[in-house]
Amino acid sequence: MYDIDTDQRLNNYSDKEILKRLASYAIPYWKYFLLTFLLMVISVIFALFEPFLIGVSIDLLTETPIDLSQLTLVLVIFALSIILSAGFEYMQTIILQKTGQTIVYNMREEVFTHVERQDYEYFTKIPTGKLVTRVANDTNTLNEMYTNVIVNVFRNLLMIVGILGAMFWLNAELALLILAVTPFIIIFSFVFRRFSRKAYRTVRANMSRVNGFLAEHLSGMKVVQIFNKEEEKHEEFNEKNTELRRSELRELLVFAIYRPTMYMLFMISTIIIFLYGGRQVVEGTLTVGILVSFYNYLRRFFEPIQQLAEQFNIVQSAFASSERIFAILDEHPQVLDEPDAIELDEVKGEIEFKDVWFRYVEDEWVLKGVSFKVNPKESVAFVGATGAGKTTILSLLTRDYDIQSGQILLDGIDITKIKLSSLRSHVGVMLQDVFMFSGTIKSNITLRDEDITEQEVIDACKYVNADKFIEKLPNRYDEPVRERGNNYSAGQRQLISFARTLVHKPNIMILDEATANIDTETEELIQESLKKMMNIGTMLIVAHRLSTIQHVDKIIVLQKGEILEQGSHQELLRQKGHYYYLYKLQYKDQ
Amino acid sequence: MIFSKAINKYYLKFAHLFIIGVIALLVVDLAQLEVPLIIGQLVDDLEAFRTGEYSRAEILDILSDIIWTLVIISVLIVVGRFTWRIGIMGASRRVAFEVRDDMFRHALKLSPRFYSERKVGGLMALFINDIEAIRRALGPGMIMFVDMVFLGGLVFWRMYTIDARMTLVLVFPLILIATAGIILGNKMRMRFRDAQKAFEDLSDNVQESLSGITVIKAFVKERQEIKHFLRQNRNTRDKNIRFVRMQMALQVTVRAIVSLVFVLMIAYGTNLVQITAGTADPFTIGDLVAFLSYFGMLIWPMMAISMIINVRSRGRASLQRIEAILDEPIDIVDENTLDITEIKGDIEFNHLYFRYPDAEEGDHVLKDISFKINQGEMVGILGRTGSGKTSIVDLLLRLYNLKENELLIDGVDIMRIPFKTVRENIGYVPQDGFLFSDTIKNNIALGLEEGSREMDHIEEMAKLSDVHDNIVQFKKGYNTIIGERGVTLSGGQKQRLSIARALAKNPPILIMDDSVSAVDTSTEEKILKNLKKIRQGKTTIMIAHRISTVKNADKIVVIDEGEVLDVGTHDELQERCAFYRDLVERQQLEDEVEVE
Repeated sequence: MYDIDTDQRLNNYSDKEILKRLASYAIPYWKYFLLTFLLMVISVIFALFEPFLIGVSIDLLTETPIDLSQLTLVLVIFALSIILSAGFEYMQTIILQKTGQTIVYNMREEVFTHVERQDYEYFTKIPTGKLVTRVANDTNTLNEMYTNVIVNVFRNLLMIVGILGAMFWLNAELALLILAVTPFIIIFSFVFRRFSRKAYRTVRANMSRVNGFLAEHLSGMKVVQIFNKEEEKHEEFNEKNTELRRSELRELLVFAIYRPTMYMLFMISTIIIFLYGGRQVVEGTLTVGILVSFYNYLRRFFEPIQQLAEQFNIVQSAFASSERIFAILDEHPQVLDEPDAIELDEVKGEIEFKDVWFRYVEDEWVLKGVSFKVNPKESVAFVGATGAGKTTILSLLTRDYDIQSGQILLDGIDITKIKLSSLRSHVGVMLQDVFMFSGTIKSNITLRDEDITEQEVIDACKYVNADKFIEKLPNRYDEPVRERGNNYSAGQRQLISFARTLVHKPNIMILDEATANIDTETEELIQESLKKMMNIGTMLIVAHRLSTIQHVDKIIVLQKGEILEQGSHQELLRQKGHYYYLYKLQYKDQ
Repeated sequence: MIFSKAINKYYLKFAHLFIIGVIALLVVDLAQLEVPLIIGQLVDDLEAFRTGEYSRAEILDILSDIIWTLVIISVLIVVGRFTWRIGIMGASRRVAFEVRDDMFRHALKLSPRFYSERKVGGLMALFINDIEAIRRALGPGMIMFVDMVFLGGLVFWRMYTIDARMTLVLVFPLILIATAGIILGNKMRMRFRDAQKAFEDLSDNVQESLSGITVIKAFVKERQEIKHFLRQNRNTRDKNIRFVRMQMALQVTVRAIVSLVFVLMIAYGTNLVQITAGTADPFTIGDLVAFLSYFGMLIWPMMAISMIINVRSRGRASLQRIEAILDEPIDIVDENTLDITEIKGDIEFNHLYFRYPDAEEGDHVLKDISFKINQGEMVGILGRTGSGKTSIVDLLLRLYNLKENELLIDGVDIMRIPFKTVRENIGYVPQDGFLFSDTIKNNIALGLEEGSREMDHIEEMAKLSDVHDNIVQFKKGYNTIIGERGVTLSGGQKQRLSIARALAKNPPILIMDDSVSAVDTSTEEKILKNLKKIRQGKTTIMIAHRISTVKNADKIVVIDEGEVLDVGTHDELQERCAFYRDLVERQQLEDEVEVE
């Protein structure tokens, strides 16, 4: 949350490649860019005209008698040109902004849609925070690129050239003098940008260090206090805070030098103009009005150069952001529909694992030849130590991962031959940690699916006993759910997840039972609804609770990726195997 | 410029910076004022030369004089601008530093009561946004204020002395600009906040959607998620455009007014030049040029008015929020304490009633708790979730205040022992295994004095907590920084590290708050065996919801709904406590099915 992004280039893509891809987003809008380009040229011409008109009007004033009609004409042109140039600039900026925002909108859509369709594995590899930055922040950086750079680099170049041109036209000698100062302005602007960027980054890094420290220690204050570490922690904080102050003052220094120096360069140019220009007026080779025009051109000369330096920075950041975005877009999901995959309308719920071998990483088999069969509407509990492969079996059924060898069959059809969306829509998944979205209870059950009616939600909640606590809430089904659902207990979240599953009418259900401690009252409600749900369809459970195990049709005992034994509670006890041993342990002490 | 007792002292502390800064700013304002005048003078003199008033030598002299004045003024402005930045902005950064420090120092003293009422996110907002708002009010706010008052006032005065008529003509447009600045500026800032809010919402939504991606995928809801995302995406786009529209509207409005006024000034000025030509106080062309420049200089102070109002009101609101934190009373303090530095480890609960400070009267989490723990005993406290176990720990650590003689350590009322002494002598293992993002070594050594952090001792503790083998598997071993790239610890590893951390202190009293709940049963057994050995003669309290954790304790206290149900050994309780027996039956198979 308090992390910073680096501006560093990864250099996975060449500049040319990046430019080409960035351009491909802009090309559909070329008409708008062309239009803003034209508007921009017009507004620049008007802007260039302004100082000249001021000079002309002053020259008119110094003539005696004053030519009033001509002066009026100049003034009207003057006023019109300013207003028109402002109007054109307004139009240009708005069109550009709309276009840029639309491009960013498209890009965000593409990135988000792309990410949303990635495999499970992808999300275990890349931290969520990074993906969020790609979708939200990196695309934002590109907005600047499209709105501020593409057209305005030309605008600034045009301005610089135009002003220089006007200066030369007015008086070549003075213009040459200004040209001599120009390299200093350019060099200084760019050097400053470098320094300020570096200083700014250091400030950001230190700021995030301070904030990270604060966030951590405010949430762990109890431990700090219990270990009597207030003083040490304050010292640590003070160090980081001091470092932050130091970098801030450094950044301040960079700015404190830059701005006045820029002003100094401006004043040097001004003095040069008046020194030489004044002489020329005395010699009679220059009018006072032109001198004033010159001065006004000079005042407009610095701005575009400084802006160019800034735009150069934006391009750098934009390239870094583009690289990161393209890297995301160039990664494609592995688990895909086969071309001949079918849509399953009706499912009976027969599941068969045939000699299934699976591993997450090379050489570490998690499942070693697992075979079992579950009949429609049967319920099965998987029992075994952590790492035995219980949860993995459940995730293979919905093709969160593809297996290396063997076959998984649903109603006799290999699941790789069924469309992914179709397969998953028939399987209701209830995970160990129930994930809740911020919103309402209702939105957490329907998952924003507007086809599910309120009545269906209420019925589902009644069925799984979730209505008991929901009815007691002030807003009932519209009661807000805060981030991660932390305003609900683990047991309540479990019940909501039951309802969530039920409302989607699955024929097969998968449950990874929660290990969390749940108060007795809720626990009973959960067990009761679990029993009811077992009648709805086929159910596979990673079981932790005794009562769950006792109610299923079949128990599969796993050990290190292999099935040790399977059968009903009674059968397993009769076999006198591992399960029998476990069960006996219970009465050892009595 | 905002005042309140939280920052007034810093105005004094950094008075030199503020004063130097303001003086520099005034010098710059004054010097800047001369520039248009000088340029106007130059124009006039050149004009006078043309009409033959000055000779060639005279005009060259004048020219060189003017250039020199310009040089001096430029130097003043350059130095002044540097100085006020360093002074005023530097002071505002320093004040922000101090306030941040004050807040954290105070936060260190606040008790769990405070932290249970306040969310970390909210407190972070104070540290980040509110301090920034104060800094803005102090730094840029002060500069804008000085500029507005002095630059604005001086320019106006100058204009007035040159020509009163012309100045009066300008009053109305200036008011117009200020009003536009206030109205449109406010709208613009509002829209900016809207755009920012939209962006934050979008970002939060993406965060949540991707965190819950397993659910989305399992229920095949990608389409709905994308649809929802697109709605926010569109909203962000539209809000941004709305903001830019207003920003441009403000810019164009001001520019239009300014340019019209310029034209007006030239037209009216020409008229004045003609009328006053040859009078004692003529309005010259130079005056007109100067007027044009001055008017340009007034635009910024007019626009600043609206910014000052905004910056100040935000700064004041932020200051109030920060002050509320700094005024938050510290409730754990030593009063009438005895001079105790060591603790043996006898504990007695004596008809203790407890409710959390924010709970209602009579809403006790602990009711009439009485039992004794003797030095050297290993005691288990067993109960279900919400039975009040953790509250007992919190009280032993003096995280809350108690009434007289409800809880005694070594026969002394806990309220009469310095709370630092209490905590110094207790080793505590929190339930969630909270660790700091520091090296593993430093985490284990947290409770040790700086000088006594020997590696041998730390490794020994890690071995006792059965976490040494995990640590050496990390590339950097004990120097691995927790939470850094790729290093994520499991719940069990965190718990075992925090056990090592508590053991390292070798405290007279050790409290484990359900600290092996995420550890598998065989590891738990190993740790418990080690504990038994090294905790000889010292008091150990183990809070648990699992029987296996407390089975072999010298004494088990069974708690339910805030009351002590029974105290005894495992065998005694099996015999006479139905509640205990029930728990045993429920749990055993559940534990065992997990064992290989």
